[in-house]
Amino acid sequence: MAAFLELRGVTKKFGDFTALNDVSLEIRRGEIFSLLGPSGCGKTTLLRVCAGFEQPDAGRVILDGHDITDLPPNRRRLNTIFQSYALFPHLTVRENIAFGLRVARRPAAEIKREVGQTLALMQLEEHADKRPALLSGGQKQRVAVARALINKPEILLLDEPLAALDLKLRQRMLVELDNIHDEVGITFIFVTHDQGEAMSISDRIAVMHEGRVEQIGTAAEIYEAPRTSFVAAFIGDTNFFDGQVLGPDTNPDYCQLAIEGFTDIISFNDKRLPTGQLAHLSIRPEKFRISRNPPPPDPFLNRISGTVEEIIYQGTHTNFWVRAGEYRVAVRQPHSRFKLDQEIITWKDAVWLSWHADDGCMLEQYRADDESLLSLPDPDDAHPAPGGTTGTTPPAASGRQRGIAT
Amino acid sequence: MRRSRFPLIVCILGMLFFYLPILVLIVNSFNASRFSTVWGGFSLKWYALLFQQDDVWHALRNTMLIAVSATTVSMVLGTLAAFALHRFHSRLQDAHYTLVYTPLVMPDILMGIGLLLFFAALRIPLGLGTIFIAHVTFCVSYVAMVVLARLQDFDFSIVEAAQDLGAGPWTILWRILLPLLAPGILAGGLLAFSLSVDDFVITFFVSGPGSTTLPIKIYSMIKYGKPPLINALSTLILCVTFLLIWVSQRLREKRA
Amino acid sequence: MSAASGLPAGQPTAVDNGAQIARRRQRQEWWISLPSVLWLLAFFLTPTLIVLAITFKPADPYGNIGAGWTLDTIRSLGNPNYPSIVWRTIWISVVATVICLVTAVPFGYYMARAPEKRKALLVMLVMVPFWTSFLIRIFAWKVLLHPEGYIHRFLRLFGIVNEGDLLLYNPEAVLLVLVYTYLPFAILPVYAAAEKFDFHLFEAALDLGCNRFSAFSRVFLPSIRRALVTAALVVFIPALGSYVIPDIVGGNASEMIGNKIAQRTFIDRNLPHAAGLAGILTLSTVIPMLIVLGVQRRQARVTVPRRKRGAT
Repeated sequence: MAAFLELRGVTKKFGDFTALNDVSLEIRRGEIFSLLGPSGCGKTTLLRVCAGFEQPDAGRVILDGHDITDLPPNRRRLNTIFQSYALFPHLTVRENIAFGLRVARRPAAEIKREVGQTLALMQLEEHADKRPALLSGGQKQRVAVARALINKPEILLLDEPLAALDLKLRQRMLVELDNIHDEVGITFIFVTHDQGEAMSISDRIAVMHEGRVEQIGTAAEIYEAPRTSFVAAFIGDTNFFDGQVLGPDTNPDYCQLAIEGFTDIISFNDKRLPTGQLAHLSIRPEKFRISRNPPPPDPFLNRISGTVEEIIYQGTHTNFWVRAGEYRVAVRQPHSRFKLDQEIITWKDAVWLSWHADDGCMLEQYRADDESLLSLPDPDDAHPAPGGTTGTTPPAASGRQRGIAT
Repeated sequence: MRRSRFPLIVCILGMLFFYLPILVLIVNSFNASRFSTVWGGFSLKWYALLFQQDDVWHALRNTMLIAVSATTVSMVLGTLAAFALHRFHSRLQDAHYTLVYTPLVMPDILMGIGLLLFFAALRIPLGLGTIFIAHVTFCVSYVAMVVLARLQDFDFSIVEAAQDLGAGPWTILWRILLPLLAPGILAGGLLAFSLSVDDFVITFFVSGPGSTTLPIKIYSMIKYGKPPLINALSTLILCVTFLLIWVSQRLREKRA
Repeated sequence: MSAASGLPAGQPTAVDNGAQIARRRQRQEWWISLPSVLWLLAFFLTPTLIVLAITFKPADPYGNIGAGWTLDTIRSLGNPNYPSIVWRTIWISVVATVICLVTAVPFGYYMARAPEKRKALLVMLVMVPFWTSFLIRIFAWKVLLHPEGYIHRFLRLFGIVNEGDLLLYNPEAVLLVLVYTYLPFAILPVYAAAEKFDFHLFEAALDLGCNRFSAFSRVFLPSIRRALVTAALVVFIPALGSYVIPDIVGGNASEMIGNKIAQRTFIDRNLPHAAGLAGILTLSTVIPMLIVLGVQRRQARVTVPRRKRGAT
């Protein structure tokens, strides 16, 4: 599909700080495209460049084949939902929504009609003559959306639109936004730092880090096949293993990996890393099977043995930390029929961990710093974040220890 | 824990200290006796006499003329200054800030003598014009500071939202900035107005023949005139002041 | 969609885009800043500098500024009369500042701990004098302190003063009215800081073994020290420049620099002399001011000094 909005080599500096570093991406007509990343990664700056609030130092912004880089925001057919909503406090809801049409000098009768329709669509009729100060967070959000949509923009830019809402409301508004998208069918660019929001609403996600786009893909792509250690660590949780490619397997899609302390490791090698290349393997905690008995033989099943160091019961699942060689491996086992099919595993048990060769992901780029992103709960604190978050910590011997930035 | 009563006592004594002199003055303005410590019965004769003092009314006219014009000009200059100080961060704005800030902390007499010497050196005759210039000079800083404080609480994403919705610079100025900042600009203007009406020292230095303002008139009455007459005049001024404070307070409560 | 060019090759790259924006921004900055900058340069900075220049000018017999340059003024400032006035000015200002601070701290403390409703009333009551004519308030004291005034009669009742004693026209009267005038300006910053103070810290201090007094002096005072500096300055600097107060309630023995400046200006009509005195006053105010300005500018852009121009 052809690009609807295209960024070509966009760079933006604020003093010495590079907010955007040669960013290029293409957004398709009608999709919900998310910019996801930690604060300071440049996602909001990117959105502001699209809206025209920031002028890039280099690069072009192209909308539907036209270069809009030099157009001021008021001449771009894009509208923004601001994080703070930025409703005009001195105008009523009705006047806020009518603002864009008034500025465009549309006939009064048309404005009246359109505003009426939009108020009805957004279920804001009973609040039409209130000032924004009297509205709840969710209502403000709806006014902001209404005020932008009434102008029939080509693209709606949403800057952390849910950040100011509480958790329950956030989920409801997310569904509401999705419904609105289905109804109006325009392109949404959605900025968020919340991977849950991004994954549930987006057609595609761009994961950003330090002013660069690390990976663009569907939610499943970025979760299952992260290209960099940053993406692997930022989206969900994972374990990193350092290894080296020993050579291709009999099936060329797979390769043999040497990881210190383990034997016979085989991994899916979609990136076709050559023999001898240093490789970093990312394995998500839930990809492991944990058992006291050795798993049945299978050429594609990797197995390592270790000792249980920590167990945290989490309701829907249990987190284990297993010492295997020099790694401390995070493992997540879901509960289905807890009493019946779960072997009772307890502290200090010798266990087997196994995972399918397809479930490991070889990373193209690896930076040791990214390990600090893993939301490793200290098992001794035993207060992990909801949803269970885990990770590995190679031991001190390897020079990387939790808590010490490397 | 029981709290110490000391602060309460200081507060009560302080309030008495603030208000007793004013109260005595008001009471005395209705005293028929011309001696402030002898109660000669209730009387409005000093007010009657006051209304016959043409020079007082002439001074009031001058004061109002200057206050209104100086407030208007300083509101424009001060608001622009606040915008510049808020929006830009450069060496020019550092200097600008110092220029705006220094008059606030400089003793009046220095500003007065400085302007007097300035006008004398340029051989500009003293009069209402020079008083106007002096008043604008000190009012600008106050307006700028009040507006600047409001600007810092101002959510500028609102301006971006207006731009985003297609508004050009003029629309933003008239539809968004001015309506939203009007309370701040008016508050600055009110402050400037009250300072201008009340200023004595600077005015004293730069006034010329025929440009007597109310504070200068009051000063000469204090030095050479009849106390009861000043009591009456003071009471009237205090009443107007209290009325204005009350009105502005009500307006603020209504808005909130 | 609004008009936009296509994408021919070789269009200006966005690199000069940045420079262009910077230029446009700078032009905008100049236009917005110019009116107030020019006004203040012309009518504030220039007069301030002229004061210094005129110090080195001779006076002409008609009360104007003569031609040429001279050191006469500097020489006559050595007259032993002046140092004593300068010292008196500083001394009175320091004492007034100390009294204001000592009063403002418990006052502001009480206001901050008062219930919300009473707080608003108290702030209002402290602010009202700020808005009322300062000449009138000075005059009120002149009436009160007058030999026929209530205070004189009250004190006579207890034999504290005698018939012939004067409460007016001495340095104590000047001090009293200075405190009366500037106390509100000292209270407001102290109150503002005390309001933000977390009074749970008091309980923590008591818990850790402080008594009430040491909790106050070791926990409360240090945390409002910035406000104390502000309060001291808003009293001290205008007090140094006092003119009207010593003129109305002071006598010969309580003349301050301000009075001398006015005397040289209006009575002797020796403008260079007035300028020289103003120079001394400028020096003694500019130094503390610049220090505070430097500190405040770094910490926060806005501190509206809650001083009303006037009563000096």
